[in-house]
Amino acid sequence: MSDLATGPAAPTTATNRPLRDLLTGSVVSISLTFLVVILIGLFWVGPKFLSSGNVSIMGTFLVIPLIVGAFSGFALLAGVVDLSIGSVVGLSAAVFAWLISHGWGLPEAAVVTLAMSLVIGALNALAIVRFGADPIAATLGMLTALRGITWVLAGNQRMIPAFDINWFTLVNTQVLGLPLFFLIAIGLTLVATLIVTKTRLGRHVQAVGGDDRAAARAGISVAGVRTFALMMSALGAGIGGIISVGQLGSAAGATGFGLEFQVYAALMIGGYSILRGGVGNPIGGALGLLAVAGVSNILDLRAISPYYVNIIVGLLLLAAVLLDRIRGGDAYE
Amino acid sequence: MTAQSAAASTNANLPTRPSLAGWGNAAILIAVWLALVVATGLYRPDFFAHQTLLAIAFTMSVVGVLAVAQGLIAISGGFIDLSQPAGLILCSLVAVRLSEAGMPLALVVVGAILAGMAWGAVNASIVALAKLNPVIVTLATNFIGLAALYLVFQLAQVPNGSEIYVLGRASLLGLPAIWWPMVIIILIVGFLMRATRYGRRTTAVGGNRAAAKARGISLKRTRYATFMAAGGLVGFAAVLFASAAGPFNPSSASTLQLNVIAAVILAGISLSGGRGHFWMLLIAVGFLSTIPTSLVFFGLSSDTQAIFQGAILMVAVAVDGYRARRSTP
Repeated sequence: MSDLATGPAAPTTATNRPLRDLLTGSVVSISLTFLVVILIGLFWVGPKFLSSGNVSIMGTFLVIPLIVGAFSGFALLAGVVDLSIGSVVGLSAAVFAWLISHGWGLPEAAVVTLAMSLVIGALNALAIVRFGADPIAATLGMLTALRGITWVLAGNQRMIPAFDINWFTLVNTQVLGLPLFFLIAIGLTLVATLIVTKTRLGRHVQAVGGDDRAAARAGISVAGVRTFALMMSALGAGIGGIISVGQLGSAAGATGFGLEFQVYAALMIGGYSILRGGVGNPIGGALGLLAVAGVSNILDLRAISPYYVNIIVGLLLLAAVLLDRIRGGDAYE
Repeated sequence: MTAQSAAASTNANLPTRPSLAGWGNAAILIAVWLALVVATGLYRPDFFAHQTLLAIAFTMSVVGVLAVAQGLIAISGGFIDLSQPAGLILCSLVAVRLSEAGMPLALVVVGAILAGMAWGAVNASIVALAKLNPVIVTLATNFIGLAALYLVFQLAQVPNGSEIYVLGRASLLGLPAIWWPMVIIILIVGFLMRATRYGRRTTAVGGNRAAAKARGISLKRTRYATFMAAGGLVGFAAVLFASAAGPFNPSSASTLQLNVIAAVILAGISLSGGRGHFWMLLIAVGFLSTIPTSLVFFGLSSDTQAIFQGAILMVAVAVDGYRARRSTP
């Protein structure tokens, strides 16, 4: 990592103490934010806020954002933001729904859908890594093109019905009062955290995102790591699309629309950056998503216009980015 | 990010490169545009009709003015203004409310432009004072702005028969009246950016901040100037938008965003800042505005439009990135 770009608190790649970095870095501030949200919820809504019914509702809502966030976090860490995730969720939901409505079995349909997601990730990588396209603009193009394909697939009805009782039952299973897939999403987040903090691969991803030239000099394949990260990001979105078909029993032309901004706003509140790689980690990102879901749940229970959620998210986002800069992140100019 | 480090090192060859690359670009873009027009015309001879021209010119008007605003932000190193949809709707609402109050067209235009400049000043203040990256700032202000606008109104429309309503339906020399101001703005801004010291300074800041600062150019003042000028243009675009769009809601402008960014990149105004021709916007916007009309003539649903727009944007940024990489020593 370059020594001029990072302050003392930024997670450095060479560190042997990932735990200490976690505690001094962005995770502490997002944990505090998360606690404040819970406290506001308890005082303003009452004990109902933490009742298992309410938490279960939030958990169901959070399954897809958590999984998409855990995977796309790799792309953010590697310094190549992937805006196409919302459209990949939409297209993979449409393709998966189309396949099972045409008599395919669940495993075959899932494999084909995930393979398609990986191809999309590889196409993003081709433009960004091979040709040096700007990640934001290139994946904005991918976002639009895939949404167009999804609309065409969804046809005039704007949706593809694909109700499979086994898949529906599995996705909506409750374990210990919580949705099974919410627990799986939390589990995936923890696995992603272990990969980022404990493995060589994770350190390489952080190094490439922190300073690609230094990483290249250290013998890391920058192109390889970024291609991997973009394919992971698309894969996570593909999984999200398949799950959304299970949750709803259909795929709509608008499935996943705008998801990228919701997820990235929450991930940035949780310590990631869409412009600078090498910062943030999956636990912080997940807490960011939980905090935003908590805010929107509180406003929901208090019957306050949902538009206030976006205002609060926007302000939290600015505050988080400002905090990151004060803590030693890059200042703009 | 790589784009920024590349931008810092490309400025050495700033003065000579753009003019050469610019004309090459223009030739390619015009060739592709002509090919599209000829192909559509061969498939459906009724494509060559005045109605087609009107449809294309209508689409061009708002996108063209917004693209000039986006181009100013990009060329000065501010990368992208993601808050244009919120800014445009805010100014359109101001225009609607002013014309509902019976104000003359001139006051409506001034009001919308001032609202746009105020919106730009808010963005510039956060960027310059908090020293935050414009992409994230405008992402957040767009979030906040659109949500706040939804709290204020759900649907708005210029009053029937008001001056602004008439403007949106008037035509001049066979083209929509709102098309002409767009052309004039592109020509004037293109001239100012080349011929005046302010224009060259703005470009210099985008090419290499550190060098520009060392030469005594205030980065803070440049940010305020570009964001407020771009905001004023968004305000003017809002007048054109409100005059012709019919009833609109706060989300109505979100689909314009992509076309605007694609136009800027196709015109060769690099997102990493410091180079680009504003006159090229006329060709880029013309080409992009022809696509939806052509698709209709080819019998493709409007859903396919997004596929083409997205693919074109991806190819354009890949070419832009490839060119920037090759010009980096």
